[in-house]
Amino acid sequence: MLTPQEENRLKQTAVQVRRNVLRQIKAGGKGHVGGALSIAEILTVLYFKIMRIDPENPRWDKRDRFVLSAGHKCLALYATLAERGFFDKTILDTYGSLGSKLPGHPDMNKLPGVESNTGALGHGLSIAGGMALGLKMDGLDSKVYVIMGDGELAEGSNWEAAAASSHHKLDNLLVFVDRNTLQISGRTVDVMSYEPLEQRWMSFGWGTRVIDGHDIGQIISAAEEFPFEKGKPSVVIANTVKSKGISFAEDRVEFHYWRAKKEEIEKAEEELLEVERRLEA
Amino acid sequence: MSEMKGPIQVFGEALVEVGEKYSNLVAISADSSSGSGLTPFREKFPRRHLEFGIMEQGVIGFASGLATTGKIPFVVAIAPFVTSRPFEMFRNDLGYMRQNVKVVGRCAGISYSDLGPTHQSLEDIAIIRTIPGVTVLNPGDPVEIKRVVHAAAALNGPCYIKLGKEKMPVLYEDDYPFELGKGVLVRDGKEVTIIATGSVFPKAHAATELLVKDGVDVRLIDIHTLKPFDREIVIKAADQTGRIVTVEEHYLAGGLGSLVAETLARAKKSAAIEMIGIDDQFASNGPYEELLGLYGLLPDQIVKTVKDFLG
Repeated sequence: MLTPQEENRLKQTAVQVRRNVLRQIKAGGKGHVGGALSIAEILTVLYFKIMRIDPENPRWDKRDRFVLSAGHKCLALYATLAERGFFDKTILDTYGSLGSKLPGHPDMNKLPGVESNTGALGHGLSIAGGMALGLKMDGLDSKVYVIMGDGELAEGSNWEAAAASSHHKLDNLLVFVDRNTLQISGRTVDVMSYEPLEQRWMSFGWGTRVIDGHDIGQIISAAEEFPFEKGKPSVVIANTVKSKGISFAEDRVEFHYWRAKKEEIEKAEEELLEVERRLEA
Repeated sequence: MSEMKGPIQVFGEALVEVGEKYSNLVAISADSSSGSGLTPFREKFPRRHLEFGIMEQGVIGFASGLATTGKIPFVVAIAPFVTSRPFEMFRNDLGYMRQNVKVVGRCAGISYSDLGPTHQSLEDIAIIRTIPGVTVLNPGDPVEIKRVVHAAAALNGPCYIKLGKEKMPVLYEDDYPFELGKGVLVRDGKEVTIIATGSVFPKAHAATELLVKDGVDVRLIDIHTLKPFDREIVIKAADQTGRIVTVEEHYLAGGLGSLVAETLARAKKSAAIEMIGIDDQFASNGPYEELLGLYGLLPDQIVKTVKDFLG
């Protein structure tokens, strides 16, 4: 059971993750901010409540794994890993610089805690499925968690992976679809329709659930109760708001990739500080 | 007459051998398990044989993920469907992620001669060798296939192994000198060097015997590893024979001939080079030997090309 104190603490962490995202934007001047901010609560819950990990031993063989299939959301992954202690936070200030450990899409060979090199969409679920299968073959109880974008679902390779994960009964695999409903060109369903989304996953043999992807309690319940059906992989369709937490950018397609002005960053910083103060009180 | 052996059958036997050696080795099929020579492995290690059906993009990602858990996946399918179709998965999930996965493209080149260009693979070496860190192997003899499979399993990193379909003569003894990344000097000679790779190495071997009989002092080099490439053996051949003929069942663009030319240009060496292979066209269809004949890859044709080249 989630206590009000714990919920408050996790909310504060999510704000800190958002501030870390902003810190990178400040360093690099631009980046994929919209989809990073929509997954802040999911990442916070996974890394601060759910996953079995050891930041001191990032390659621990009994760890749970996380794959960010929508690799362009990596500002949030870097922000969360730094907050969790996988690397020094000053590395966040190198975003955008030559040879930074924080490329515009994540590189597992550069940064501790990153599990796969995603960014080309439609790769992550297959890689995660292979991890889940390998862990099962070894009799390990580790889990594999994935975040996919909703725009990404147009890639056909995802549905190969969805079928194979179900065929191989990977009930140690939990996917969050970050349904923030926007992609570069506009509303995802206008660019390429994917509804009925939940039924689509069900028909591929997955256990499903739909939640509010910014509600800490709902994310925890889903992560604690998976697998939703025995012997099946699980998917959470998380309804989110793109650029969540920065009022002037929320649900606006222009902020998929943000070329930030100084005064915009200052305003965003102020807003996040205000939320932080409120939570502390 | 040398004994003839099918490359896929030999590969299947070799896979059982390495499967016995490495308990973490798994075989991955994309539907064509028996055609890929996996039946003996599946019978011996049923739990380590993983079937994925016809999903040739996703299967590379699954192999990558399996490798992150310490497995050594061998992904085996018809060559174009594990190279050109999932090229981006090969590049990112195996190359960029540096995963210990072995991809085996079988029935490569024009060996699916009757099935036509959709099933032929004449660009696999050209595209896969652009991926940093991937070892590219193309054995030209049944003994060499076994050595290549053992070497790939022992190597920690992504590999591509190219296999033909038609039976090949056994030209090597079991103890012939094999070293990953090194060409094999099969015959020394001073007049001209034939450098051959993979399924048509036996054709070049037969041509060499005919040329020697006719008094031509041919040097013959077998290149089983295209990446890393044995630059030294090529530069030495250029220096010592001045003339090089390359023989491959591949497009001239980006294959062995290109590699030889690139190597010499970058070393600021010069040699006259003749390239035998398929030049900028989708290959035709029909019986395998007749198709090889369309592209000058039969022993008599190689002999004629070499003689014309010598003038």
